[in-house]
Amino acid sequence: MGRYVLNRLLRWIPSVLFILLIVYALVFFGAGDPIKLIFLQAPGDVAYDPVRIEAIREASGLNRPFLVQFSDYVIHILKGDFGNSLVSGRSVNEMIKAAVPVTFSLGLSAIAIIAVIGTILGAIAALNQNRWIDNLIVGFAQFTWGIPVFVAGPLIIVFLVLVLKMDVPFGWGGLFSPKVIVPLIVMGLNPMAIIIRQARAGVLEVLSEDYIRTARSKGLPTKTLVFRHILRPVLTPVVSQTGLLVIGALNNSILIEKVFGLPGLGRLTENAITRSDYPIILAIVLIFSFVVMTSNLLVDISYPLLDPRAASKKKGED
Amino acid sequence: MSALLEVKDLETQFKVRAGKLHAVNGVSFSLKQGEMLGVVGESGCGKSVTMMSLIRLLPPSASITNGSVMFEGVDLVKANKEQINAVRGSKIGMIFQDPMTSLNPFVKIGVQLSEGLMYHKSMRKKDAYDRCAQYLDMVGISNSRHRLEEYPHQLSGGMRQRVMIAMALVSEPKIVIADEPTTALDVTIQAQIVDLVKGLREKLDTSIIWITHDLSLLAGMVDRIMVMYAGCVVEEANLRDLYKDPRHPYTIGLLNSIPRLKNNENRRLRSIPGQPPNLLQKPASCPFASRCAFKTERCDRENPGLESVPGDDGASGHRIACWADTRGRI
Amino acid sequence: MESEAKKTAVVEEKQYNLFKDAMKRLAANKLAMVGLIVVSLVILIAIIGPMITPYDFLSQDLNYRNKAPSAQHWFGTDDLGRDVFSRVIYGARTAVIVAISVTVLSYLIGIVLGSLAGYLGGKVDAFVVWLIDVFMSIPSLLLVIVVNVSVKPVLVNWMDAKFLETQNQFFRNTTWVDFAIVFGSLAFIKWPKAARIIRGQILSIKNKNYVVAAKALGVPTSKIIRRYIIPNSIGPFIVSISSTLGEAMVLESSFSFLGVGVKPPIPSWGNMISDGLRVWQVYPHILAAPALVLAIVTISFSFLGDGLNDALNPRQWK
Repeated sequence: MGRYVLNRLLRWIPSVLFILLIVYALVFFGAGDPIKLIFLQAPGDVAYDPVRIEAIREASGLNRPFLVQFSDYVIHILKGDFGNSLVSGRSVNEMIKAAVPVTFSLGLSAIAIIAVIGTILGAIAALNQNRWIDNLIVGFAQFTWGIPVFVAGPLIIVFLVLVLKMDVPFGWGGLFSPKVIVPLIVMGLNPMAIIIRQARAGVLEVLSEDYIRTARSKGLPTKTLVFRHILRPVLTPVVSQTGLLVIGALNNSILIEKVFGLPGLGRLTENAITRSDYPIILAIVLIFSFVVMTSNLLVDISYPLLDPRAASKKKGED
Repeated sequence: MSALLEVKDLETQFKVRAGKLHAVNGVSFSLKQGEMLGVVGESGCGKSVTMMSLIRLLPPSASITNGSVMFEGVDLVKANKEQINAVRGSKIGMIFQDPMTSLNPFVKIGVQLSEGLMYHKSMRKKDAYDRCAQYLDMVGISNSRHRLEEYPHQLSGGMRQRVMIAMALVSEPKIVIADEPTTALDVTIQAQIVDLVKGLREKLDTSIIWITHDLSLLAGMVDRIMVMYAGCVVEEANLRDLYKDPRHPYTIGLLNSIPRLKNNENRRLRSIPGQPPNLLQKPASCPFASRCAFKTERCDRENPGLESVPGDDGASGHRIACWADTRGRI
Repeated sequence: MESEAKKTAVVEEKQYNLFKDAMKRLAANKLAMVGLIVVSLVILIAIIGPMITPYDFLSQDLNYRNKAPSAQHWFGTDDLGRDVFSRVIYGARTAVIVAISVTVLSYLIGIVLGSLAGYLGGKVDAFVVWLIDVFMSIPSLLLVIVVNVSVKPVLVNWMDAKFLETQNQFFRNTTWVDFAIVFGSLAFIKWPKAARIIRGQILSIKNKNYVVAAKALGVPTSKIIRRYIIPNSIGPFIVSISSTLGEAMVLESSFSFLGVGVKPPIPSWGNMISDGLRVWQVYPHILAAPALVLAIVTISFSFLGDGLNDALNPRQWK
């Protein structure tokens, strides 16, 4: 087990580095001259004065070869320094520190709610296969499964405010303020559909397994049957979807924060895009990929704990 | 001795896409204390479904539409959920065909073995584990204490089937239903399992229903054999009578298709031509008629019931469902 | 025991043509048929749309701004007095062009990499699988954004320089650059899914007993591919193409919703929703029209995808 975790960790590092390299290269070779960008907003025609530009370039080390600059950047990141914004000159660390709690508290609570409610709804649907409640839940999942958040969000707002004449509060007031409710619901809609389908299929599959028949042949009460024999095999594949949920939540956060005007990483990204503020974009890509890869890592590590067969297979491999 | 289990006119149907599948069509039989009954027939003849119907261990698409199963004064067909749960596992135990898939891979062997005891007999965990270890020893699993803490995938197929057998026996049931328990195993392991069950049966005086498609397996093991075809019992006899004096054309066909080693250099294996009937309609005439060499005009009109064989007063219990008198014609 | 009983029934069933049978099952699925009709309609509108729109999508009528839906303007007009209905219809063209090109592009990449990995196995396979995993763990919207903001300035600068050099009007029109970048960057994030499906199909079929048996009989490879591999993988392939089409359409909209995709004045449902979001409290129709249309289209895609999946993968029946 220990070696497996180590092995998995050793594969995780090059992946993160690789992403960083791709994104850095894209920005380095594509984005245009950062110095010019810095001084585009500055008074005077600094951006078009080749001599001064070269001097600044020399001074800031931006004329060094790509790999040198890249390693320099990686070293800075390892020290926890994402550099400064090209536009405002503020420290990227500060800006991110302010935005991270909004995005992550929303995302994590959405994922937790989705996982629990989705699994329960999926199980209810499976246990009532082909009855009206199953059709209702499956219908709901099918309906919400494809609708993008930037479509569902605005439509829900329009419906609540203009049709129901409700007073929907906007903005950010912390995770426990009522302002969070509508964004949370919108954020949950389509990942919920994924979990409902997964859990429903899982329960149906497990119910048809021979070992459930064996358990039933022992005349056990329903409670034992569900909690001891059905729950774990159903949850195992659901847990493996966590990585997907995390990616979905991060993707959606960019869109949701625009719809609801929340001051999170998504909005930071949007502002950075419109102003081509690369240090911020790089930092956010890195944070997002880091979060996704880490959650994948955690899922992989926890899998053997959930499935005893996987545990011994892993032992056999190493 | 009076019957322990009395099944009458049992009918079970499946809902399938094309309509209703009549899997069991009026099966009646009885089982005595300590008796070992072999049930034989080809795949899809309804032998497993019949036995699963006894304790209503059926998939949701199946339902028992007629008949009764009397066990200890209770009709299991009409029993409520508590009554049936009290019978399952504690009074009637099951051994399934595929030991690779019949044990829950997520649950330790000790838990799977002991959960019935702890629930039905309210045993404490320690006592239950003691008894489980004792039964694992009895089915020939060494190091039994240690095995209780292992997961099923850590055992071989033969070992898992031994665990299944221990699991069926550990609550000391009156009846054990073994559904092709050796089919998924290697031939050498098959023989070991058969010997094991024979030995245990003498020791524990349990009634056993052994379901198989392999007639030769039952020789020297069971007391009585029931031959099933298309959801009906077509012949029922003592082991000796069935092998020496089979009466139903289907039974004869089955016996002819068994390879033998002695005295038959020129004997060819004979298969039974044709296919079993479509069970989407309940058979109105003899279901075997289309494949039968002894077919008469009556066979296409009426379905014969299970009656004592001609020339028998009923004492031997040899019964067949056939219009033809096959005596001396083979 | 159930399967044992069913076998009898299966023996009696006639052997249908697999494809005809699938079409029959699809036709029996009402929701899938609704989905198919809507999707076909959208494609039809994308082709003939500009011929049937009552107004040009660019023609402004400043005297007639922000008008509510009426007989002349079915979906009303926007803040520049443009006919929203015509713009929604033209948006379908944008969506369909992007969806089809992205699907084709990402499957081209996916087929090449996926089949290389599936056939060659070993180190090539391990590398491709790793690449797929890495790409799938970058939140897709962010990756698209990075590609977009870094590649676009380079292209635009190059076009400017070309224009100054040649005075060719072609180089002044940057609309196609927008489109090309959208195609490229979306294919960049969609290929891993295609590659994974192709690889999975090849691996699963390559080791099927019937293929091994055919090889043992000396059936030529081309015939094995034609007779066994293609017919057996066509089902999952069609299902995944249909879902990629839908996803690409949603991505295109989310992309232009964030202001990095197809740029105004070319209408895309995404940038129309983004425009509508600014004025929804006063003129909700500007937001609701494109949002509702996009919602209907995505739901139709999910109905169709589900129906295709049920129809083409009968082994998944419960």
